[in-house]
Amino acid sequence: MIPSVAPAPHQRKNALARFSAHRLFASPGGVAGVIWLAALVAASLTAQWWLPYKTEDQDFTAVLSGPTAAHWLGTDELGRDLLSRIFAAAAGTLGTSLITVIVGVGLGTVLAMLAAAAGERVEAVISRVTEIMMSLPGTVIILAVIGAAGTNIPLIMAILGILISAGIYRVILGQAKSLQSQLYVDAAKVDGVSTLGISLRHVLPGLTNTIVVQSALIFAVGMLIQAGLAFIGFGPPIPQPSWGGMIQGASQHVYDAPWLMVPTGAVLALTVLAANAIGNALGKAPNTTASHLPSAAARRQRARAVAAVGAATTPSANPVADSDAAPANGQLSVRGLSVGVDGGPRLVTDVSFDVEQGTVLGLVGESGCGKTMTALSLLGLLPSGVAATGGQILWNGKNLAAATDREMEAIRGRDIALISQEPMRALDPMFTVGYQLTSAIRRLRKMGKADARKEARTLLEKVGIVDAERILKTYPHQISGGMAQRVAIALALSGRPRLLVADEPTTALDVTVQAEILSLLRSLVKDTGMSVVMVTHDLGVVADICDNVAVMYAGQVVESGRTANILDNPRHPYTLALLAADPHANSAADMPDRLATISGQVPQPKDWPTGCRFAARCQFAGSACAAPVPLLASGSEEGLVRCVKADELAVEGLEWLATEVPTHRVLKIVERDLA
Amino acid sequence: MALFITKRLLMALATVLVVAVLAFLLVHAMPGSPGAVSLGAGASQDAIDEVNRRLGWNDPLLVQFFRWLGDAVQGNLGVSLIDGRSVSADLANRLPVTASLAAGATVLSALLGILLGVTAAVRGGFLDQAIGGFVGLLVALPAFWIGIIFVYLFAVQSSVFPATGYVPFEASPRDWAMSLALPVITLAVGGAAFIARQTRASMLEALQQEHIRTLRATATPTWKILYIHALRYASLPIVAGIALQFIGLFGGSVIAEQLFAMPGLGQAVQNSVSTHDAPSVQGVVVIATVVVVAVNLVLELATKFLDPKLRAS
Repeated sequence: MIPSVAPAPHQRKNALARFSAHRLFASPGGVAGVIWLAALVAASLTAQWWLPYKTEDQDFTAVLSGPTAAHWLGTDELGRDLLSRIFAAAAGTLGTSLITVIVGVGLGTVLAMLAAAAGERVEAVISRVTEIMMSLPGTVIILAVIGAAGTNIPLIMAILGILISAGIYRVILGQAKSLQSQLYVDAAKVDGVSTLGISLRHVLPGLTNTIVVQSALIFAVGMLIQAGLAFIGFGPPIPQPSWGGMIQGASQHVYDAPWLMVPTGAVLALTVLAANAIGNALGKAPNTTASHLPSAAARRQRARAVAAVGAATTPSANPVADSDAAPANGQLSVRGLSVGVDGGPRLVTDVSFDVEQGTVLGLVGESGCGKTMTALSLLGLLPSGVAATGGQILWNGKNLAAATDREMEAIRGRDIALISQEPMRALDPMFTVGYQLTSAIRRLRKMGKADARKEARTLLEKVGIVDAERILKTYPHQISGGMAQRVAIALALSGRPRLLVADEPTTALDVTVQAEILSLLRSLVKDTGMSVVMVTHDLGVVADICDNVAVMYAGQVVESGRTANILDNPRHPYTLALLAADPHANSAADMPDRLATISGQVPQPKDWPTGCRFAARCQFAGSACAAPVPLLASGSEEGLVRCVKADELAVEGLEWLATEVPTHRVLKIVERDLA
Repeated sequence: MALFITKRLLMALATVLVVAVLAFLLVHAMPGSPGAVSLGAGASQDAIDEVNRRLGWNDPLLVQFFRWLGDAVQGNLGVSLIDGRSVSADLANRLPVTASLAAGATVLSALLGILLGVTAAVRGGFLDQAIGGFVGLLVALPAFWIGIIFVYLFAVQSSVFPATGYVPFEASPRDWAMSLALPVITLAVGGAAFIARQTRASMLEALQQEHIRTLRATATPTWKILYIHALRYASLPIVAGIALQFIGLFGGSVIAEQLFAMPGLGQAVQNSVSTHDAPSVQGVVVIATVVVVAVNLVLELATKFLDPKLRAS
């Protein structure tokens, strides 16, 4: 929903590394982790030159001492210097933990790549085996290995790695499979690149970041388990120091020298923390999907923004509300609405339209023009991070743009309802249709359980479901998409709303089902007298059902008016272009040889020019288009158009032309790619 | 569903068998023959050979394995080489200790983890960051270190709880609970952190689902969206996380039992490994596997039951 620059699916290895490094150093935790680990490694590798004492030196004048000038971190029960022992043990701990990382992450990655490359059979076998491995009591098995092979720490850490590889496999498999199914991998297969070559050249580079993240996390796990084993007496042979062994020693003196616990525990914890911090800094996925129910903190923030919008739009700045003293029931007036990302660009600017009771308004335009954001703002259901930043949404005279969430809760469902694009995803997969419908009816109509159930059945029958009783008992995944959309419409109707916001309600459905759903909506409008705001990119839908149209481009309304006028006599070049590009708009007889296209794409909100936002793609653009363009009367009834050349175009009767595709350019591109 | 259960049962059985074979091989790779281990240093070679012959140590491995398996199926896991006691009886005494520990720690870590994770996801902002930092710290602290700190705080400084030992439930339910408190909390800390992370991620993912918007569009109260609909959606990965956690806690009890001197399976495995007591090691590995696999099976069935798609099929 929130426009974001999606990373290209196929990144070069060095680009990925640079990106990862950047992300690591962007996080303070990651930087601290790297510094700590680097310092620890450097200190432990050079330990023999700088350590104040040998690990076995005993200072009987200072047994179990706290930090002193002679012993910075104190001494243990034999008067051995803790600082020296901690750093002498570091190299071994870090080194052997690395064995677990190499074996675990290495084996897990190889298995995942193998499963992804070699097909379902192999994958099923490997997955079964790893499932078994994951359901084993690992610690007990490690101890049994110690029984057989003794405390051979590198071997133990390697076996730990094997046990852990099952988990790594699980983490990496999904990603490896999705990389393996990329189109460029298919292309490489067609080109005859071997399976191994594909895995190494195309899959492995894409896994780099995950592998690094998992390595850091497993490094931490390895250290903890190694210390735990040393703690229960399966560490390096005494008197060789180990962190776990030192904590075990300290635990014997928790009564008389509790300080002994602190230095070793702190160093171990800091090291684990450092490895985790690095892993987390690298693994933090940028959150691209916005929450549909923002957190309490985000809601508080939004409440402040809403209050600001309310304060900014005083009634005097609102001629419409002033002139209409008693607005009609079911009257929606949007005035100068702006929607924006918190601290980011505006996605919708200065949008105005009216919806009279019992009429259908179409919001039309390409993807990314702000139609859905406009529609969702009517219900106060913008995704988290996006909010109405100005203007008014007047519903029966009340400004919803400045309404609190609690006030909106009284409006949603009862006054204004929503149906969305993908009915399957709009219904809760965990609850039956019956539960979802009856609980909405009970809430919105204050009905008892039995009455609500009866009403649910009536509603389902009303939206054209014949075996309502059976559908009530089903879960959403058990019904078809068209059926689910009918259920979603019934759900929207459960509060008997006066306005229905429909966000591309037919786009995800089969063509035959589309027509059924549209005719259902049309009859509902006729029967109930409710109004509809219909978001769509399909001019056929507009012609079919809408009384009025607002054509949106790049967050603005560029043309609005009665449907018949706009379809027959479009004034804005964008509307002209949409109509010329629509295969339904022309009758079969005068179907043109070539459909028109609109070159380029809708600009990102941050790239919107101050002048006409469509100018860059417009066939008629001129120097006058660089200045801001107001929305002016188009000359037909209440029609409005935002184009400085609208009159000129109308007089000359210009049409949007289907342009020839320059074939020589296509060939050149292909030649260059082959070279 | 019946087919699914059958499949899973077979998988569980296969897992236990694989571990039994593995344990058998490991035990045979242990240094010293049973005779040498049980008679100790200074025994004559003849005496050692005699014990080995009596135990069938010289028979082919396959014969020995199936003999062991046959006995094990009937509940006889052999006799300890050290003290001659029945391994089955010994483990039967120890199992309740470890089971209480692991179950207590699983329940506590699940409650704590879900509470923290849900709070972080739902409240957001500063609280989310604070919980994130706290949980990150808990993950990094080794359980045994936390355990000693608890002993220092609650048993040494103020004797709220006993520092070590285990009181059976039959002896005194109150003392049983008191004796379990510190080890259970020690074990639960890391698990709670793990489950908190899992819960937070699952809740956030649930709140990104489109049906949450539908619920809001029909004026569903926020508490109901969060705690009935979103939590229900998030419950599948959370329960799966708890199942994984149980395996870790069962293993982690080795450390807790050592630290708090609890006579459980963990202590048994540590002792028998140190003394090369082959039948005990083998017995405890197999029993631990059976318990872990069985609990996982139950939790997995629970997850499947939570998912309407899988329940219906």
